[in-house]
Amino acid sequence: MPRISPRLVREALWHSRLLPPLLRANPEIAMAKQELRWIKNELPRDQWRDAITRRSKLEPLQYILGTQPFGELDIECRPGVLIPRWETEEWVTKLSNLVASRCPKKNIHIVDACTGSGCVPLLLNHQLNGQSDISSQIVGFDISLEAFNLANHNLARIDNSTPNVKFKQLNLFSESLVQELAVDEVDILVSNPPYIPKEDFYSSMYMNGVEKSVRLYEPALALIGENEFYEALLAQLILPMKIKAFVFELGYQLQVDFVKTFLEGKGWEVGSMNDGSGKIRCVLGWRKEMDFMQKLAEEKSS
Amino acid sequence: MIPLVRLAGRSPCWIVWATKWTRPYSTVDVSGTLEKLASVPKIHPLLIQRAEVMQAEFKTIEAKVAEGNFEQELSIRFSNLSIILDNYNQYKSDMAAFDELKELISEEGQDHELVEEAVAEIEATIPQVQRSVQVLQSRLLPQQKYSDKPCILELRPGVGGSEAALFTEDLMQMYINFANTKRWKHHIVSRSEGNNGFVNEVIISIDDPGAFQALRHESGVHRVQRIPLTESKGRIHTSTAAVVVLPKISEGNESSLKEDERLFAPGEVRIDTMRAGGKGGQHVNTTDSAVRLVHIPTGITVMQQDERSQPRNKAKAFSILRARLAALEREKEIVEQRRMRTDQVTTTDRSDKIRTYNYPQNRVTDHRCGFSLHDLTGCMAGSKLEELMEKVEEHEFEQRLEELIAQERKA
Repeated sequence: MPRISPRLVREALWHSRLLPPLLRANPEIAMAKQELRWIKNELPRDQWRDAITRRSKLEPLQYILGTQPFGELDIECRPGVLIPRWETEEWVTKLSNLVASRCPKKNIHIVDACTGSGCVPLLLNHQLNGQSDISSQIVGFDISLEAFNLANHNLARIDNSTPNVKFKQLNLFSESLVQELAVDEVDILVSNPPYIPKEDFYSSMYMNGVEKSVRLYEPALALIGENEFYEALLAQLILPMKIKAFVFELGYQLQVDFVKTFLEGKGWEVGSMNDGSGKIRCVLGWRKEMDFMQKLAEEKSS
Repeated sequence: MIPLVRLAGRSPCWIVWATKWTRPYSTVDVSGTLEKLASVPKIHPLLIQRAEVMQAEFKTIEAKVAEGNFEQELSIRFSNLSIILDNYNQYKSDMAAFDELKELISEEGQDHELVEEAVAEIEATIPQVQRSVQVLQSRLLPQQKYSDKPCILELRPGVGGSEAALFTEDLMQMYINFANTKRWKHHIVSRSEGNNGFVNEVIISIDDPGAFQALRHESGVHRVQRIPLTESKGRIHTSTAAVVVLPKISEGNESSLKEDERLFAPGEVRIDTMRAGGKGGQHVNTTDSAVRLVHIPTGITVMQQDERSQPRNKAKAFSILRARLAALEREKEIVEQRRMRTDQVTTTDRSDKIRTYNYPQNRVTDHRCGFSLHDLTGCMAGSKLEELMEKVEEHEFEQRLEELIAQERKA
């Protein structure tokens, strides 16, 4: 942890007595102030001190406040389940806008593998049912029981009435995955699988690694993985179920290349997509009948 | 005359007769009433001309509506005109009645009691007529743009360092108090502080349709003269804060965001998200959700970071951007109108100071109309602000009238 200068502490103290501990998690005072304001806005007074102590030990603010905004939704977050990221929010929004405006099929079936808090199916459902005449059936699954419970909890919190979204507890690597999933037809497969290689998970932020707060508090189960997840997604779901399009989140060009070589000569088109800060974020593929998907991939070049 | 006779019943009859005969005409003093009558404002002939034109237009529209034409624009115009013409007819009948009464009292040898009654009637109706004249006048003047919109107030400290920042907060409180006294809904959109811990920008949104109409004269530089809290030697400082009043065009929430985004051509607005470096994605769990919009044709930059949700920040930023663009457009129009006129009018440019808050003297002076309010605490508490604003409004109204007259004269 870099040393916090006494000057900065004094400056923080001048603003509020509660501010200095937050400097451990936020090197910049403006960000610390912002967090203090959110804590004050969203928690009752008697929990402030506790929240600040937890934050000073680098616990993610989302676990402390209990929620993370995701698109127009508020997703509840609990320790043991990955916090939804803004990059995911970004590509899910783009995808749902594209499907709503360009998809020729009006009743669309989507599966989300490694769903975690359930944020991706819930936002997709919200966006698709909110802005178009498309009806969607979405199934999300995750291996972790904690994630499964939280996803169901989020579903109940956000929209209990729609039977369009279902969650299951399934292992992506299971032999009988297709039977267990029990879905006849899938049009689009989406996933945000673990994609941080082990050596990066244990190295510092400055060495292409992960933030300390992520390493200390978020589940390694949802984070550590390399190509094996993409291989499983392709071999276990895409090919046997004859899925027509997919979008997977990832963090490395190598993973894009892996997916590309895996699908070479199998009648698939594969592209990649960058996030808002210009980093490689998604690989997507489509078969001929879903070629509107290339609109997402084209955004990479522009 | 009967009561007079009865009253004088006990005194000898001839006194009564003498009284009557020595005063054969009215004894009521009518000169004061006549003066008052003269002071009732007449509507400028040009405006009356306008009203006549409107009446003609109304007739044609009425005919169209009667034929069954129900276009939205037409029906709006129809209802607008009918309100104005109602006022106009009211004014005409009021004036006709006044003329009759005036004739009555100024005529020599009128019946004493009749004159008294007429005077009483005139005195009673004068305030009502004055009001109706004002209403008609403001209706006849062309509508100001965005007069039916809520508004966004942007406050920033000017010269004077930390004292200016403190004054900015006082001003913010003043407008919030004012909104409270008017029972207008309002909220603080964003508030940012500089490195020294003092506020450097506050944006308040006042969500009453018509808030823009009421507050638009507040735009400009407000000057304060007082002994600041930060002053140790008791000297009076002068500092300033700038207030910008913008018409609020869009709500600034997620549902208005889509429409706002659609309004701009692709590439017209650059959207920057302030994300920290590093790998991103699962590697970090930042809560930084700041959004910056840059409107490329004008160079206007809007930054929003108060909300945890990025789309919400973006929606707010778009709402502010649209408000600023609308204000810019309005300003351009005003400048254009001014240029067409030859005579000089004092500017209401925002570079001028418009108002001084003098704490030692408990005085607020508006420099545009030269009016001084000697109740600074009342003004800052929001209750007396309206009085001040009314004076400015009147002044502006006169100016617009002059402008209109000058324009018509040129044309």
